[in-house]
Amino acid sequence: MSDVSLSAPARPFRAATTEAPWIKWALIALSVAFLALMVFAPLLAVFIEALQDGLWVALETLGERDARSAIWLTLTVAAIAVPLNAAFGLAAAWCIAKYDFRGKAFLITLIDLPFSVSPVVAGLCIVLTFGANSAIGGWLVDNGYPIVFALPGIVLATMFVTFPFVARELIPVMIEQGRADEEAALTLGATGWRTFRTVTLPNVKWALLYGVLLCNARAMGEFGAVAVVSGKIRGQTATMPLQIEMFYQEYLSVAAFTMAGLLAFLALVTLLLKTLLELRFADQIAATHRQH
Amino acid sequence: MDAFLQRTLLRQPSALPGFGLSFGIMVTLLSLVVLIPIAALLLFGASVGPAELWRVVNTERVWLALWLSFRISLYAALVNLVMGVILAWVLTRYRFPGRRILDAAVDLPFALPTAVAGIALTTLYAPRGAFGEFFAAWDIKVAYTEWGIFLALLFVGLPFVVRTVQPVIEEIEQEVEEASATLGASRARTLRKVILPMILPAALTGFALALARAVGEYGSVIFIAGNLPLRTEIAPLLIVIRLEEFNYAAAAAIAIAMLTISFAMLLVINGIQIWSRRRIGLV
Amino acid sequence: MHIEIDEIAKSFGTTAALHPVSLAIPSGALIALLGPSGSGKTTLLRVLGGLEFPTSGRVLFDGDDATGLTVQDRRAGFVFQNYALFRHMTVFENVAYGLRARPRRTRPPEAEIVRRVEKLLDLIQLPGIGTRYPNQLSGGQRQRVALARALAIEPRMLLLDEPFGALDAKVRKELRGNLRHIHDATGLTTVFVTHDQDEAMELADLVVVMSMGRIEQVGKPADIRARPKTDFVRGFITA
Repeated sequence: MSDVSLSAPARPFRAATTEAPWIKWALIALSVAFLALMVFAPLLAVFIEALQDGLWVALETLGERDARSAIWLTLTVAAIAVPLNAAFGLAAAWCIAKYDFRGKAFLITLIDLPFSVSPVVAGLCIVLTFGANSAIGGWLVDNGYPIVFALPGIVLATMFVTFPFVARELIPVMIEQGRADEEAALTLGATGWRTFRTVTLPNVKWALLYGVLLCNARAMGEFGAVAVVSGKIRGQTATMPLQIEMFYQEYLSVAAFTMAGLLAFLALVTLLLKTLLELRFADQIAATHRQH
Repeated sequence: MDAFLQRTLLRQPSALPGFGLSFGIMVTLLSLVVLIPIAALLLFGASVGPAELWRVVNTERVWLALWLSFRISLYAALVNLVMGVILAWVLTRYRFPGRRILDAAVDLPFALPTAVAGIALTTLYAPRGAFGEFFAAWDIKVAYTEWGIFLALLFVGLPFVVRTVQPVIEEIEQEVEEASATLGASRARTLRKVILPMILPAALTGFALALARAVGEYGSVIFIAGNLPLRTEIAPLLIVIRLEEFNYAAAAAIAIAMLTISFAMLLVINGIQIWSRRRIGLV
Repeated sequence: MHIEIDEIAKSFGTTAALHPVSLAIPSGALIALLGPSGSGKTTLLRVLGGLEFPTSGRVLFDGDDATGLTVQDRRAGFVFQNYALFRHMTVFENVAYGLRARPRRTRPPEAEIVRRVEKLLDLIQLPGIGTRYPNQLSGGQRQRVALARALAIEPRMLLLDEPFGALDAKVRKELRGNLRHIHDATGLTTVFVTHDQDEAMELADLVVVMSMGRIEQVGKPADIRARPKTDFVRGFITA
């Protein structure tokens, strides 16, 4: 003991729950470098390539016919697929969170299924179900309602790929909130629908918005599944990501990267809103459940 | 209908109305969008017959594509496992300027369309791109090789481990780390013996998700892969090629092979997880 | 071991958790740090354990300055409020943890570790519990395992932070006797933190009453009861 007594604090005190400063800064540097190379550099590259001939040239490419129709198609698809998925998410979360029924665990697994299926396989599934060669698809085509190589197929493919997003955000939040609020409303004489509208929905609105945001970002950016079902008909069934591919393969670099920049901008706005929601309403969106 | 569903499915009768309606909407949409299409694939496979499916899959080109997809996905998911744990640790434990921006950036691969990521990475790593030039000086080709595929899969799988591990690190009580120190363990030993085992189940979940995502990834890879048959052709691309030739049997065969292998992997990893969770009693 | 606290002060930012306090703890005593929350009692305990570094002042162990000694080198057996058992390890692995963490030079051979752990499990009257995991134990059993784990490192002192705080009344009574028994059996200088005056009075040889980062009174339980020095002490012990 005596050797210790003479040397007062031999080394600067470090709390038992931290690493040595050099390790800490090395890990931070590694993280920054990794994200710089993997995330920031590609993002920057998109905007640099898009603006290589100036902003005006870039914006002009968006005004061309193919580009305009791709933007319009993507907006249309999202406008159909996202609300449908939101409706599904609300129904599924209500059903799973508020009732105790047989087969619930199995149902949750089924809802998560699209996460482990390749988008290309998802597209193939839809082609095999609704394509002109299948029984349903053949009948629909004969009656003038083609699904594959047309808007409905693109919507279905997009829905498949983004299917679990809203439900996954809502289920844990609704489970946590239990059903006491709804039961209270019912005892006060509210109808079921009124209870849902005035009690349940306000309770989960931020989680719903959060899920819709993520769902929308994925819906607008989906490539693999849509590529399989769309047939890539220029000006008709080419969504923005597919149009990017066409421009890129035709060496129309500015056009490709400008449209990519538009989607990247959308992604950045999504992330910004997502971060704001997490900061502001952390307790109302399942913040501990941030895996997608 | 509602009464029938309630009687047959509900374990406990409920005062809340709307079970039949919500259950109906859920099951209808789930069937229409997900279940029927997947069933159609399996039915189609069954109608083609196992012998024919096997004949189609059992070619060098298909095996090489599957092997390439799973192999590179595994490498990418492993790197993401290590980097994901480090990132999760740095983002939850350290306070430094720019932390929030880094935290938000982790989600970019979720939000950025894969085609955008694909052309961006290709531009950077092509032989005359900003980073490609650097590697070219060392005589390394990144884009249009396996390295390119690896990079794209690394990108798409990046958020998974971070986002599954972060909440677990946040929940580790400081007392546990202090207890380890008072018992004489060095910081390194505490990290290895106490903290790592606690975050391992979550890290494995993230790893499995990243792996599943990478195996099925198409959009970002096809731009950077070069897509040479037998060399840099991934399995999803081969499905698309067969489809474009209207060879539905071959496309379905490869798809079923991919589904089977992915589910087997997920099953194994889920098994490990359930086992380790039961042991340490996490919920 | 004799512990001397010499003008220890601790502040977090601008708020002072401890104004300079001094205290001598005689070797082999069982003493209680008693006070309401925010009185600085836990901070003082953590300074002794090396988990908190004082802003000024010294801690002396048997007359030697131990202020700069790291947690790892202090060999203070610390029992945390929520026990902080390692959930992914069995009871046996928890108790053996400190021995296995020693550098190879001083680490006992595995057979010796097994023997010592079993002896400790006997001491806490939970023999044969080694293969269980913490989440399979009751609150009282967890507390005793935490005690055994702290004792396994052959500590020079025993520090306990609200050791009975998380237990229900019946188990609490039972375990008080248990702690006294272990203290008497090991002869270790023992300091425990509590906000419960009954607990402090019943169990401790010496009670240190604290408030607002200051020591209000030090004395035998009977003395403090009979002659409270300040209004605070009078109010607190009759509350």
